[in-house]
Amino acid sequence: MTEAQTTALLKRYSKAYVSVADVRHALGGITFGDVLTELAKRDLPLPRAPEAGREQRIAAARAVLFPKAA
Amino acid sequence: MSRPRASLFVLDTGPLITLAAADSLDYLLYPNVPVVIPDAVFYEATRDSAKLGAQSIIEWVKAHHEQVEIAVTNTYLNFDTARSVNPNAYEPNLGEQASVEVIEEPTRLQGDEKAVLLCEETMVTRRIVVRERERIIELSTMDFLNLLEAEQRIQSADAVFDRALAAGRTPSRVEKFSEHDAALRDAVRETLGTARRVPSGGGRRRRKS
Repeated sequence: MTEAQTTALLKRYSKAYVSVADVRHALGGITFGDVLTELAKRDLPLPRAPEAGREQRIAAARAVLFPKAA
Repeated sequence: MSRPRASLFVLDTGPLITLAAADSLDYLLYPNVPVVIPDAVFYEATRDSAKLGAQSIIEWVKAHHEQVEIAVTNTYLNFDTARSVNPNAYEPNLGEQASVEVIEEPTRLQGDEKAVLLCEETMVTRRIVVRERERIIELSTMDFLNLLEAEQRIQSADAVFDRALAAGRTPSRVEKFSEHDAALRDAVRETLGTARRVPSGGGRRRRKS
């Protein structure tokens, strides 16, 4: 994979369009730590999962992990 | 001792490495529930001491052995046996297979216990066929951090991710780790070996404290 292709793939991951599993596989089975380092080299942020649709899941986990707050 | 209301299962290396890089592994302990890490996931996160976060993860697991369980799996035992014959043995889905095995153990999720699964690789949870799927909740690292932020246990979830990336930009840190390569390899072996020596006895297999 060329540098441009790698950067394009990492940009897609950074925007949460592809999974980290896809990135690791495409880059030859690198580790998650390597992915983090490659993102850092290119000043790309870690993907922030979209909030929409996830509030319910986070609220359910909050109720389980911090029951007094729920 | 009564069973916990919930356990936090760390099913792949992503959350461990991100939190380790951000010097924030202790956040996993904030809910005050048992933290379970499959042995193969621990191995994958720490097998190369030059990798980001490896040393922190080993030290953190050793320091918190009362709260953190390294769960023994046949998947990892089989891999370790294969590796003793062929040191170059490689299993691409080792952590994933071990995670599925841990969650599906019949002794897990007793009573009304819930499982919060922390993972980045969504394919892990797709493969899990637990008896009562509604009892598991899957979270990404950012979900977990957002939860802690909502709970006012941390100031900013985004800041944790920023710290992790900042660590990735610091090669001197990686070089420092590699100086201790042999000692770290021994520490990984010792941690996994201790987990294995504890007899299962039909219950949970925990690391010896």
